[in-house]
Amino acid sequence: MIKQLSVFVQNEIGSLANVTSVLKDNMINLRAIASFDTPEFAILRIVVDQPEKAKEVLNAGGFAVKVTEAVAVELEDKPGELDGMFRVIADAKLGVNYIYSIVLRNGKVPLMIVNTEDLTKTASVLKEHGYIVAEQEDVNA
Amino acid sequence: MIWNETKECMSRDEIHKLQSVRLSKMVDRVYHNVEFYRKKMQQMGLEPGDIVSIDDLKKLPFTTKNDLRDNYPFGLFAVPQSEVVRIHASSGTTGKATVVGYTRKDIDLWQECVARVLAMAGVGPQDKIQVAYGYGLFTGGLGLHYGAENLGATVIPMSSGNTQKLITMMQDFGVTAIACTPSYLLHIAETLEEAGQINNIQLKAAICGAEPWTENMRKEIEAKLHLKAYDIYGLSEILGPGVAADCEYHKGLHVYEDHFVPEIINPDTLEPCKEGEVGELVFTTLTKEALPLFRYRTKDLTSITYDKCECGRTLARIDRFKGRSDDMLIIRGVNVFPSQVETALLEIAETSPHYMLIVDRINNLDTLEVQVEVEERFFSDEIRQLESLTKKIAHVLQSALGLSVKVKLVEPKTIQRSEGKAKRVIDNRKLI
Repeated sequence: MIKQLSVFVQNEIGSLANVTSVLKDNMINLRAIASFDTPEFAILRIVVDQPEKAKEVLNAGGFAVKVTEAVAVELEDKPGELDGMFRVIADAKLGVNYIYSIVLRNGKVPLMIVNTEDLTKTASVLKEHGYIVAEQEDVNA
Repeated sequence: MIWNETKECMSRDEIHKLQSVRLSKMVDRVYHNVEFYRKKMQQMGLEPGDIVSIDDLKKLPFTTKNDLRDNYPFGLFAVPQSEVVRIHASSGTTGKATVVGYTRKDIDLWQECVARVLAMAGVGPQDKIQVAYGYGLFTGGLGLHYGAENLGATVIPMSSGNTQKLITMMQDFGVTAIACTPSYLLHIAETLEEAGQINNIQLKAAICGAEPWTENMRKEIEAKLHLKAYDIYGLSEILGPGVAADCEYHKGLHVYEDHFVPEIINPDTLEPCKEGEVGELVFTTLTKEALPLFRYRTKDLTSITYDKCECGRTLARIDRFKGRSDDMLIIRGVNVFPSQVETALLEIAETSPHYMLIVDRINNLDTLEVQVEVEERFFSDEIRQLESLTKKIAHVLQSALGLSVKVKLVEPKTIQRSEGKAKRVIDNRKLI
C-alpha cells in the first residue's frame, strides 16, 4: 500500500495554492492530487514522493494533515480494466468511498487509488485476482 | 394619548418627592428581606435610615448580572416564593440563566408600564395588535401581551416564527398595530412587498424593541409600511419591556421614573456622568416587590436629559443606545455573550476553544456564523465526519444560545490569536 495525505482546506480562493506552495518550497513532488467540491471546506488528498516530510512541512505551515494508507492498483491502458477492478471490489462486498489516479509514471502503467471501508481486504482481494497493488517505493521514484 | 397623566407629567419636584419616599421604603424592605443587600450595606456601614432622599441613591451599592448569577436562582428575591406568581429568564454569560420573578403587584406594574408605552404610540381599545415577540421565558411576548390587554386592545398572541400566518391574520383581521423586533418588521415588510400586498394592510403603529436599531431603520419601516414606529426598551432584571419608550417626537425614550430611577455613570470610575454625557445606564427599582434591585448596571451606553418633552411628559429621557460596555450581542432579540459560545465549544471534545463570531444582517434578519478551527487530532480523511462535526457543533450552540447558528470549520491557526483580550466578534451590522 502507499501513503496518502489528506489536508483540510477551506473553500476559498488560493487555498489549494497555499498547500502546493509549501510543497514546492520544500522540493516535494506531487504524484497525484484529488479534491471534490463541497460548499464550505474540502479534503485535499495528495500522494507525494516524501510523505513524512510533506506532513511535517504542511503542519509547520498550519495545516491539519492526516497520513493514511491507500490502495494503489496498477491498471493496463485498455478498455474494461477499471470495470474488472470494481467488480472484484464489489464482489467482496466492499463499498468505494472515492478514487483518483496517478497517470504519469515515466512510461509505467497508471495507478488507480481506491479508498474503501476496508483497505487491507481490498488490497488482498485485488492481489488474489492478479492485480498489482503498488507500494510506497513505486511512487517515490 | 397619555395613559397616566398624573405620573407621566409630574413636576420634577413631585418626582423627586415621590422617588425619595419610595426609595427609603424600598431600602428598608430590602434590608430586612434580602441577605445579599443587607450584608453589602453592613460592609459599607450603611443603615436603612441613612437613605431618606433620592439624593442618597449614590450611597447604595451597585448590582451586576454576576450578582444575579451568584444568587441563582432565587437568592435576591425579597418575598417568599408563595407570593411569586411568575418567573422569566434570560441567558446569562456562562450558561446559567438570569432568573427574575414577579408578584401579582409586579405584574400589575408591568402591564401599567406597557399600557403607557402603547398609549404613547397611539394604540387604544379600538386597536387590534399582533404581539410577535417570542412567548415563553423571554419577557417580550408576555410583557407586551398583558400590557396590551390592560389597555383594552384586542391582542393576537402570534409569538415569533410563522411570517406567512402572521401576514394572513394581519390582513384578514385588519390588524392595526404590531409589536416585534425592528428587523423582523422589516422582514415582514419585504415579504409583503414580494407578494404585492404592501398596500393591503391597515397597520398604523409598530412598537419595536429587544434589539438596537437606528433612526434610518425607523424611517425605512415607516416609509415601507405607512405607519408610525416607536422604540420600546426594557430588560428582564428591571421589569422586561416597558421600562422606557419614545413618544411621537422621537427625542429619546421616556423612563417611567415613578418606578425606575435611571443614572448614567462612567463605567470605569463608577462616578456619575453629567446630563447629556454618554455613560453606562444604571437602574434602581422603586416599587418592584419580588426582585427589587439597587443600582443595576445595564451595560447599555447612553446619555440622559431631564428637560420637559414637547409631548408634555416630564419624565427623564434616555438617548438612543450607543453600544454596550461589555461584549454582549443582541441577535434577533436574543442576548448572546461570546463566552457562552466558548463554554459550549469546550463541551465538545473535538473542537478547540478558538472561535470567531461573525454577525451580519441579511435581508433584515440577523445571522450568526461561528467559525471553529479544525483540530488535527480529530481530523480524519472523511468528509462525512467533518459534516457530522459541523452539525454537532451547530446543535450544541443552538441549544446553548437559543438561536440557530451557521457553523463554519476553518483551517487550524487561522483564527487570530492575540495577547490580552482576544477579538472574538466581527459584527457587520451597521447599527450606530
